[in-house]
Amino acid sequence: MSDLLLAQELVQFEAFGRLGLSHYLLTSALMFIIGIVGFVTRRNMIVMFLCTELMFQAAAIAMIAFGRYHMDISGQVFVIFILTVAAAEAALALALVVLLYRRKETLSAEEWSELGEAAA
Amino acid sequence: MVCIHFVNSRTQSVAGMARHVYLAHLCCSTRCLTSRNDPVAVIGHPLSAPEKHPYGGCRAVVPVSDRMPSHAPPLLYIMSVLGAVALYLMMKPAASGTGGSTGRAGHVAGIILGLGVFAWLLKTCIDLFAPEGGSPEILFVIFSVIALASSVRMICHSRPVYSALYFVMVVLSSAALFLLLGAEFMAFALIIVYAGAILITYMFVLMLAQQSDDPNRDTGDVSSGAEYDRLPREPAMAAVMGFLMLALLGSMVYDGVADLKDAPTAQQATLRDLLQLNRMPRELDAIVAGLVAEEGAEAVWRSTGDAVYTEGNKAFVDVALPGRVHQRVELTPEHMPTNVQHVGLALVAKFPVSLELAGIILLLAMFGAAVLSRRQIELSEDELREAAGLHRMTALDDTDHDDSGQTGKTDRPSSTGQGGSR
Repeated sequence: MSDLLLAQELVQFEAFGRLGLSHYLLTSALMFIIGIVGFVTRRNMIVMFLCTELMFQAAAIAMIAFGRYHMDISGQVFVIFILTVAAAEAALALALVVLLYRRKETLSAEEWSELGEAAA
Repeated sequence: MVCIHFVNSRTQSVAGMARHVYLAHLCCSTRCLTSRNDPVAVIGHPLSAPEKHPYGGCRAVVPVSDRMPSHAPPLLYIMSVLGAVALYLMMKPAASGTGGSTGRAGHVAGIILGLGVFAWLLKTCIDLFAPEGGSPEILFVIFSVIALASSVRMICHSRPVYSALYFVMVVLSSAALFLLLGAEFMAFALIIVYAGAILITYMFVLMLAQQSDDPNRDTGDVSSGAEYDRLPREPAMAAVMGFLMLALLGSMVYDGVADLKDAPTAQQATLRDLLQLNRMPRELDAIVAGLVAEEGAEAVWRSTGDAVYTEGNKAFVDVALPGRVHQRVELTPEHMPTNVQHVGLALVAKFPVSLELAGIILLLAMFGAAVLSRRQIELSEDELREAAGLHRMTALDDTDHDDSGQTGKTDRPSSTGQGGSR
């Protein structure tokens, strides 16, 4: 009975194998690239931070896929930490955005391009 | 014919060909028979019989020349360029006013091109890793297409609120991908934390910072909205850069996945999972009680400090019954700990320091957000005196801080904006 179960699982598992891993990695890489492109092209500060969340998301997919591949739970645990960092980043970044918006009444990142020079 | 173990195939003169065969059959073989002049590779799985294994029994004979993906890297770069073009077409703002239809045609072309590139990349994966016509799970294809399409839409949409909503879409479909990967706990945690908490925060800030004086904000016209939302910055350069990086990543995957150590077989993984029960005594006792179905049965902890032990490919546990000798019981895969149990155990037993650090990070982020978004109010001398219970030094008609710094129309004087905390 248990042999039967194991044999069934073996087949399922091998069907995942590296085939599935490369697919998930491909999706993850594409999503990460889209996030980077969005971060570079968008000029709205909030959307820029949303794009960083997209990159977090891509990293999480890669981690879970690798964890599944190695049958190791650490991949999933680290996604919890990704979530933590993402939440902390969202809180701080949005506080900053609110602060900046109060001073210039705009969300455009370019308004703040001379931030360094102004301080000098 | 030479028999090659692929672990060290790179050092051999036939390494190139062998490696390609290896790549082509990563998912199914641990050993492969091939030769330098013979364009045929015989793939065998030494461990399993044909009826147990879909590719087993040395039955897969694949012409190497067909499968040799030596042409893949240049094609990968070409595909990356096409992907960049597709993304650029999708990002290009619809020309407002005059040529709206050409902009729309560009978008459609971009979408078609993007789908084509994605399909080709998927197909390459199949060719590389499962040439016998293995296909990815249909659910995987559906959800990854949804995820990627919504992320593209997210970075292209001219309205930040819609971008956030599309990001919710991305989160939901990646939660579905997590489910496909067997990570149930993380899938639901992702939905709750991301879609439920983080995205709501984003939405609040977006609403807060919404330009209220925009005349046609309710018309749904894409060309409305702030100028910095409508026009992307350097979309062509960004797309080219991004897909250059994709090509790099792709070629690394092409080279690197072959170097991964072999995944554990299901048997090994099952045994490892069952051994985890050693760290969950109560769960183990419950399982034992269920297995023996007798009052007072409990697992015996041996002198080595564990109760579950393996012999060969099976896991056993000794059970102590009241008034009788010990009995050996076999554990089967259905006794494996669940995903949530796994995650919880790993979190507190394997990464306790990281867990504490995560808590500290969240606490500090909360403090930081509160400190940052606090409104800096400079009290005048008189207000300080009043707060301290003293009399004012000047008359009450002083008007310098009447609105206490509320959203000044233009740049406020620097003295009010920059408080002492910075």
